[in-house]
Amino acid sequence: MLTQFGATAESLSKASTMMFRIGTDAHLYDDPDDVSIAPLLDSKFESEKCEALKRLLALIAQGFDISNYFPQVVKNVATQSLEVKKLVYLYLLHYAEKRPNEALLSINYFQKDLGDPNPLVRAWALRTMAGIRLHAIASLVLVAVGKCARDPSVYVRKCAAIALPKLHDLRLEEHTAAIEEIFVEDMTMPHELITTEYMKSMIAYRLDYNLAFDNLHIFWRIYLSSSESQHIVGMLLKDNSPGVVGAAASAFASICPNNFSLIGRNYKRLCEILPDVEEWGQIVLIGILLRYAIAKHGLVRESLMLSFEDLEIQSQEKDDPESSHLTVRKPFDGASLDICTEIADIVARSYLEGPDKYLARLGHVNQDSLGFDGSCITSATSNDDVKILLQCTSPLLWSYNSAVVLAAAGVHWIMAPKEDIRKIVKPLIFLLRSSGSSKYVVLCNIQVFAKAMPSLFSPYYEDFFISSSDSYRTKTLKLEILSTIATKTSISSIFLEFQDHVRDPDRRFAADTVAAIGLCAQKLPDVSNTCLEALLYLALSESSNNAVALMGEEEILLVQVVKSIMAIIKQDPHSHERVIVHLVRSLDSMSAPAARAMVIWMLGEYCNIGVLTSKMIPTIFKYLAHRFHSESVETKLQIVNACVKVLLRAKVEDISELRLAISYVLELAKYDLNYDVRDRARVLKNFLSHCKGFNYLEEADYRTEFNDLTYVFAEYIFGGTKKVPSESFSYRFYLPGSLSQIVLHAAPGYEPLPEPCSFADDETGHSPTNVHNDHESNEIDDSDDISGSLDEENTSDYSSESVSGEGGDSYIASDSGEDEEAGTLIHLSDDAPDSGDHDRVSVKNTSSGLMDAGELMSKRALESWLNENSDSGQNSSNLSQVQRSLARISIKDIGQLVKPKSYTLLDPTNGNGLSVIYRFSSEVSKVSKELACIHVSFSNHSEEPMCNIFLAEEKPNPSPDSSEKSGSPSESVLVSHDKEATLIPMEEIDRLNPGQPADRVLQVRFEHHLLPLKLVLSCDGRKQQVKLRPDIGYFIKPLPMDIESFLKKESQLPGMFENIRRCTFSEHLNQQNDKDEPPQKDIFLMICEKLALKMLSNANLHLVSVDMPVAANLDDLSGISLRLSGEILNNSVPCLVTLTLKGTCAEPLEVSVKINCEETVFGLNLLNRIVNFLAEPPR
Amino acid sequence: MLQCIFLLSDSGEVLLEKQLTGHRVDRAICDWFWDQILTQGESLKLVPVIASPTHYLFQVVREGITFLACTQVEMPPLMAIEFLCRVADVLSNYLDGLNEDVIKDNFVIVYELLDEMIDNGFPLTTEPNILREMIAPPNIVSKVLSVVTGSTSNVSNTLPGATASCVPWRKTDLKHATNEVYVDLVEEMDATINSFVLPGFSVFLSLFLHYSGQLCSGSPVCIDGHPKQLANVFYLYSLSCSDLSPLLILLLLRDGNLVKCEIYGEVEVNSNLSGLPDLTLSFANPLIFNDVRFHPCVRLRPWEANQILSFVPPDGQFTLMSYRVKKLKSTPIYVKPQFTSDSGTCRVSVLVGIRNDPGKSIDNIAVQFKLPPCVKSSDLSSNYGSVNVLADKTCSWTIGRMPKDKAPSMSGTLVLESGMDRLHVFPTFKVGFRIMGVALSGLKIDKLDLKNPLSRPHKGFRALTKGGEFEVRS
Repeated sequence: MLTQFGATAESLSKASTMMFRIGTDAHLYDDPDDVSIAPLLDSKFESEKCEALKRLLALIAQGFDISNYFPQVVKNVATQSLEVKKLVYLYLLHYAEKRPNEALLSINYFQKDLGDPNPLVRAWALRTMAGIRLHAIASLVLVAVGKCARDPSVYVRKCAAIALPKLHDLRLEEHTAAIEEIFVEDMTMPHELITTEYMKSMIAYRLDYNLAFDNLHIFWRIYLSSSESQHIVGMLLKDNSPGVVGAAASAFASICPNNFSLIGRNYKRLCEILPDVEEWGQIVLIGILLRYAIAKHGLVRESLMLSFEDLEIQSQEKDDPESSHLTVRKPFDGASLDICTEIADIVARSYLEGPDKYLARLGHVNQDSLGFDGSCITSATSNDDVKILLQCTSPLLWSYNSAVVLAAAGVHWIMAPKEDIRKIVKPLIFLLRSSGSSKYVVLCNIQVFAKAMPSLFSPYYEDFFISSSDSYRTKTLKLEILSTIATKTSISSIFLEFQDHVRDPDRRFAADTVAAIGLCAQKLPDVSNTCLEALLYLALSESSNNAVALMGEEEILLVQVVKSIMAIIKQDPHSHERVIVHLVRSLDSMSAPAARAMVIWMLGEYCNIGVLTSKMIPTIFKYLAHRFHSESVETKLQIVNACVKVLLRAKVEDISELRLAISYVLELAKYDLNYDVRDRARVLKNFLSHCKGFNYLEEADYRTEFNDLTYVFAEYIFGGTKKVPSESFSYRFYLPGSLSQIVLHAAPGYEPLPEPCSFADDETGHSPTNVHNDHESNEIDDSDDISGSLDEENTSDYSSESVSGEGGDSYIASDSGEDEEAGTLIHLSDDAPDSGDHDRVSVKNTSSGLMDAGELMSKRALESWLNENSDSGQNSSNLSQVQRSLARISIKDIGQLVKPKSYTLLDPTNGNGLSVIYRFSSEVSKVSKELACIHVSFSNHSEEPMCNIFLAEEKPNPSPDSSEKSGSPSESVLVSHDKEATLIPMEEIDRLNPGQPADRVLQVRFEHHLLPLKLVLSCDGRKQQVKLRPDIGYFIKPLPMDIESFLKKESQLPGMFENIRRCTFSEHLNQQNDKDEPPQKDIFLMICEKLALKMLSNANLHLVSVDMPVAANLDDLSGISLRLSGEILNNSVPCLVTLTLKGTCAEPLEVSVKINCEETVFGLNLLNRIVNFLAEPPR
Repeated sequence: MLQCIFLLSDSGEVLLEKQLTGHRVDRAICDWFWDQILTQGESLKLVPVIASPTHYLFQVVREGITFLACTQVEMPPLMAIEFLCRVADVLSNYLDGLNEDVIKDNFVIVYELLDEMIDNGFPLTTEPNILREMIAPPNIVSKVLSVVTGSTSNVSNTLPGATASCVPWRKTDLKHATNEVYVDLVEEMDATINSFVLPGFSVFLSLFLHYSGQLCSGSPVCIDGHPKQLANVFYLYSLSCSDLSPLLILLLLRDGNLVKCEIYGEVEVNSNLSGLPDLTLSFANPLIFNDVRFHPCVRLRPWEANQILSFVPPDGQFTLMSYRVKKLKSTPIYVKPQFTSDSGTCRVSVLVGIRNDPGKSIDNIAVQFKLPPCVKSSDLSSNYGSVNVLADKTCSWTIGRMPKDKAPSMSGTLVLESGMDRLHVFPTFKVGFRIMGVALSGLKIDKLDLKNPLSRPHKGFRALTKGGEFEVRS
């Protein structure tokens, strides 16, 4: 009966759960493939499709690979039902990368959906399209994003902002291939396994790593950061809706975190909008604003970050300026703000440099080398930008989202004046009441704050009292914080609390508490006696407990107690003799080997500090000798050590008593089972045989020098005079709220704060407004262009604008350009090769193209970089500190140095004494832009004058009327549109006397033919066929542009428009050898110049910029990159050349040449040409 | 940014995976994670950030479901944790609680929600009100419909208007037949109380030791009152006295010492108002707040200026603010545990009673503690309520409503492991209770005003105090 009832109850409950599950998707999850899915997908009913898709989703959830359904699913993207669409999108996002070809089928539907009136449909289409990661459609997506960024719906704009990082990520990957070839070993680094072991090894190879990372960084910047997307980000940051701004901030953080100019324009607005941005955006935006403020204005004088500097200045004023950092210690300065300046200093430096770098630097370089100079310091009271940032972040301390609170607290921690940091304490502590997970993270951060500034938290010690529901890690963190912030007034309450924890059932935690007691005692010497009492009592009671119950866990506590006692005693052993006596007395009841070993160590170490101990020693050694066989190895070793120590220090009258026990012990040890004990016993016995204790019967003068030596050794090893090593500050600090701070190593992508004042923009300051506006409008134009296809019209428009700027008012225009994008770069204006002359204004030193780094930088740029502090003495050191930054150097007058290569058209031997040499010129033809100019030099090497020298095109029907041609050359050019190369003939040379040279200009339309051009040279009526070999390097003409537009252009020409080849460049080697140039720093410049010269001598290009990594070591040229631009003569298609160097000065350099050009074939040809002439030996 | 989210059941089974970016995370990471849990024990479940060999893992555990998120790059860890908490909140709100079955049953909704909540690893829409408009929560009607008509869509066809408004937490055009707004003060009392074993023997030794002519307050050494231990103390001090003088020993008798007592409270609002109401809430005694935190809808300037809460409420139930009031002087109930051990057994007795009558009845009283690991077996009974000892040695005593006529007590004996003479570690008692109608912090709501009332709404106020982290140390 009863069982029956039970059965019904069971079935009832089953039935009820069945009822409960009816109508849900449970059956789909449980048996997703119990029907065949394929026909359902092809069904014409939405509901069946929907079911099929749900089944597929269930399979995805359970981890099955179902990409084989892809084609059928893709078809359904055309559906009208939003639910089906959503499910299809979910499926597509999961598998598109695996099946790129099929995924392409869906693109049309996305395009269609992007025009849908329903914003939800548009947003979904954009999200999916950007998410499916097909390289082929990256440009399409960019256009779509640009369009959606202007969508009327906030939601769509927000999705556009979020889509940008996806695109960026995709592009990153695309370029990885290119970068990988150059820096294979480096690319793998960030994706390596991140373990502590790995981190350690990384610190060991720190230099290499840093270097590698610098290069990567450079590459990413070059390839990616200045792209279309940045313009869109800039636009979205200006959006009116806070929701969009938040998403744009996250896009900014992942695409171009260092493009501060984007922030600079909107800084005030962003600050004001900050409280209205949704919480997730707030977190990111706070970080961005903080970085901007540091980069723009530097650190705040009153803030904690510079507390050390204050102190240093004070101390320098007070006494000798030589006083070193570490001796100036002021944990409690009179005011209520006690700051552990030492740690605060480490914290500040770690934030700025990253702890890996900082700690490594500590090892070998003097700390002072990175003293912040006064220029990077601002004041919170006078600087509006800092003030507004602090103002706008302070209400966020009340946010519901703990991440926002922590981010806001981080800003105040770094930027706020010391007195105002208090503000963050209560909100931080309140966070401890939120979920357990965030509690742990918050505590990790509080721990750092408390270490640097214990006074902040010391009034709130009660909030760190441990509750039993805390996890073990939380408890230990709280203990550590408590021992950090304990003060004289609070220590008694804290101890009361600790003594409760000692009785906690979790013995591990109890042991940690004991360790914390030890720490407090060391920190506050006043209480150390009481602590010792308590610990001693604990040790005694614990050891008695252990005698009763031997449990593994119990040992931990006892060992920790003894350890803490030991630590306290170490500070002042003489006053604690009594404690040692007590411990030794309880040795018998102590069973934990580690604890016994420590007590014996103390015995040996302090055997002669007082009367009591020395009296005890003989008895104790008898006891130890008695127990020796039953001790553990660890204890045995300590006993043997103690023997030596005691003998070394014992008074002569005690030795006789001791000798027996000790020799017994050593004898036992000699035959111990453990080889360690045996070995040590033998070594020590050898020592002792020469010591006073053992051979006291011998004559005093028996001691030889050798014996003295062993005695000295023994004394040295066991003498105990060694100082207790002071606790080294090897903490690793990362920015508050960062992941790295929690895992205590730099997570990939972690970046310390930017270099203070590394960003200077003149926009708000003294830059001419018209230039500024000009640039603005330019930019808006550009971003508008995104939506349309990027045809040449726009680009040429853009470039002509900048050309006119440079031509007319040249300096202002180029200046504004550089200030605009300065970032952390040193940028110097660069002149087009032919306009080198009228730009002298800015350059003081024009003597040669070669100058050293200090002189090379124009003063103005330097000033803006150093913020009006151009101490020339500091330049070089500063330069070397700016890791990861690039110096953009310019090579002046390179135009004058360019000597285009000459070729022989006619040898004097073949031409009856007439020699004809031609070289391609960089001039642009006045007749038509499609013509290349060739300088032809004639010279008469014969004895007689020559007449009627004329060079003309060879025609199948040689009837060109020369007069007609010369009469209307332009017409003839325009008319002759056959595919042959066309020539505007030169003026005829009537007469050429012997030895007389004559120069003529030949203008040829090559039409990209690389075949030799057959010409007929008529001289004195004789005709001779000559061949002019076209040089593809002169099928182009310089296209002046600034670096920003270069990068922008470059990013528009990815994929098939981009070609890379590699060659070696060794010209600099010869030069170096024969010139024997002493100054090392010139090598960089020299090589840059060599390379630029080589390029400009062989191809008609415009040198856009020369970048070199400032921080690289002197020998390593890797990372230097040259950018050149040109446009193809006959169709004005831009052609961008980037040279990147790798290698060291002493070896042939590896140059990778990259060409971005829409005319792929032309680009390839040009590339081959460049590679050829770069590789060919110097003339 | 986050790369992937996994939902794991409490047996380590992967319920769902949602890849968020192009950098796919293999499920193998879950195996690694679960292996770690198995080898390092459950304590790892409480570690929110774990560095695995390939990824950084963030985890949040809610009702047996582990929300695991992975990333490879630097990001604010709290952002990930908060987001996972938010996901857990939204899911349990949608599904009426969280467990393995309910997630499996509604996996499509979970997927759709996740897809809306996060895009490319960055949170997209986390506001519950908007989510509810975008994806309909499962309810009886839709279930029945789906049974009858096949499938129904739970995906909305239109974009919620709130996404565009400046108050994204509120639907744009709301109409309620009844205009009402309720404000609840829900307070939790956190307290830590020390109590001593046998009041008669309890000794609190505070030592004022005179060292080197300077008087300083020393650490108090607490000794629980076993005669043998007491003897130990005096033995110790007789030794120490030899060179120390004068020695002053203070004996203090205590029963129950309030280490800390504070209130964590939330102002919960249930608003069913039409249109776009603008509310102001003011307190009679806002100065008692120690810390505050606000819902995003609260305007911060009026609070900074006058401590007035001015806000446009979301629809339905939400937490307007949370606050903390520190340094309370007393607790409404007391719990007095006593342990007396003698030769391998330990007598336990626990007394519960009302200390300061709050004026309202106290109910849901429950006392829970974990027996120390050295206890072999236990035999516990109570004169009121029921006592349960679970397999993991957790002992819970459910009292319920406080009886008027007698003081509830629990007593029994613990048998210790062989070889143990007496109990030397003492469990902490967690106490739960509930008092309706009282906010123990003393917080009073002054008034609630509507700036643009369409019709006079019905307003209501309630208060409630619960036991939070209420601990009594034995």
